[in-house]
Amino acid sequence: MKKLTKEQIDKALKVLKMPADSKLITHLNACVHCGLCATSCMYFIALQNDKYTPARKVELVASLYRRYCTLTGKIVPKLVNARELDEQMAEEMIDILFGACTMCGRCVKHCSIGVDIAYIVRVGRQMLAAMDLVPATLQATVDAALTTGNNMAIPTEEFVDTIQWMEEELLDEMNDKNARIPLDEKDKHILYTLNPREPKFFPLSISAMAKVFYAAKESWTLSSKMYDVTNYGLFSGNNEHAAVIAQHLYDEVKRLNANTLVLGECGHGSRATRWEGPNYLGMEYDFDVITVVELINDYIRSGRIKLDKSLIKERVTMHDPCHLSRNGGLESELRFALNNSVSDFVEMTPHGFDNFCCGGGGGQLAMSEYNDRRIKIGEIKAEQIRKTGASIVVTPCHNCIDQLMQINHTYKLNVKIKSIAEIVADALVIEK
Amino acid sequence: MTALEFDGDGFLKDPQIWTEDIALKIAKEDGISELTTQHWSVINVIRGNYLEKGMAPMIRTICKETGLKLRDIYELFPLGPARGACRVAGLPKPDGCV
Repeated sequence: MKKLTKEQIDKALKVLKMPADSKLITHLNACVHCGLCATSCMYFIALQNDKYTPARKVELVASLYRRYCTLTGKIVPKLVNARELDEQMAEEMIDILFGACTMCGRCVKHCSIGVDIAYIVRVGRQMLAAMDLVPATLQATVDAALTTGNNMAIPTEEFVDTIQWMEEELLDEMNDKNARIPLDEKDKHILYTLNPREPKFFPLSISAMAKVFYAAKESWTLSSKMYDVTNYGLFSGNNEHAAVIAQHLYDEVKRLNANTLVLGECGHGSRATRWEGPNYLGMEYDFDVITVVELINDYIRSGRIKLDKSLIKERVTMHDPCHLSRNGGLESELRFALNNSVSDFVEMTPHGFDNFCCGGGGGQLAMSEYNDRRIKIGEIKAEQIRKTGASIVVTPCHNCIDQLMQINHTYKLNVKIKSIAEIVADALVIEK
Repeated sequence: MTALEFDGDGFLKDPQIWTEDIALKIAKEDGISELTTQHWSVINVIRGNYLEKGMAPMIRTICKETGLKLRDIYELFPLGPARGACRVAGLPKPDGCV
């Protein structure tokens, strides 16, 4: 690593010295090193090395806080195990905070005193981002979103071509000219969003959701430019970038004059847009923001769509995206959708609030450097799936879907992986 | 031959050194024992798009130019168009959730 400049170090320390509120200091000082968090962490379980213990991750940031923000740490750093922010420390932080944490937050729920460990990890990432030390692979995904409006840099005309293709297929299948995928239409009730992975490589989830909208007779549109539900600024730790990306969707809701922003199937994107977005932007939304799972459930509860769960007889299990269930409060909502769509639903152990991450969260899927670890921790999820005996795994997150596809192949699970929209569309009864 | 170097995800570090033999080697790692005419038609479209535009093509382009159905492509490359087909075609890993 290149020698850190004074400017870099000052920028990183500013994150510690000028926190927005008292949360950072409280949580940095609260860890009592009980070690209960160790066995909650997939990295510790799979790799059996103390350095992956969540408390150790907190300690990296806390030791810098003591060194630069407390009197004893400034005068006799050794006395309080305070560390210098130097090249060795920065390398360790990159390896552990970027390369060995999915920010799933499972440790937070197991912490005896409720330290928000994932938040501290993100503060560490913020410090690295301030020093321009975000892994290049993760930064490339952020940069693509900043410069093109979507994290895969899909050109608009190619996106439009794909959407029109899916619309033609839907028109054929429904044999009704009202079965459409509207683009850039103003004054609709809903602006729907996607993970760019859908139009780029896996567009069947788009036509599946369009079919649900058609059955519900919804007033909706997609944008041809700002449709990306992801916000990798959450994972890179750069709040300015996160704010620019959050602004993209905000401006698009305004431009198209939609009432409700519906977040496509994406765990971190739902969190970054719905819960973190107002903080990034420094204002409250003046429109409704909900996840697509909640929208589908509204359709089911109000009778706007009819499902026949006897159509899907295979055994189905659910993978909870961390930012929807544990960190988003939607555990029972996800189950409501699934219980209305399939006849043989079985849970993984553990599941819901205590679920294990797929192993690809926190930006891990984007960071090739840490691929071996990602596949290794994914074995925990693979074995959970295997034990259910299910042949279909449903999860409302395209990032999770990609990781599950890879562990399905690596650990020979022989399961099908579907989004919620896809399983609901399979169970739809269209009344004409 | 230049030493074969892959990134952590198994994508070729230098897409320029790609050959058909390398494609076969990567395919075998993914459990594809033989590259059929259909596999090659997908690989050639991906490769051509990359050389022309510097990025992986949309699945739409792959279907249009090969005449294959979406489901055919998912079956040909069980790891999908990105981790499966693009890797065999010697492209760098696409950004995003893949």
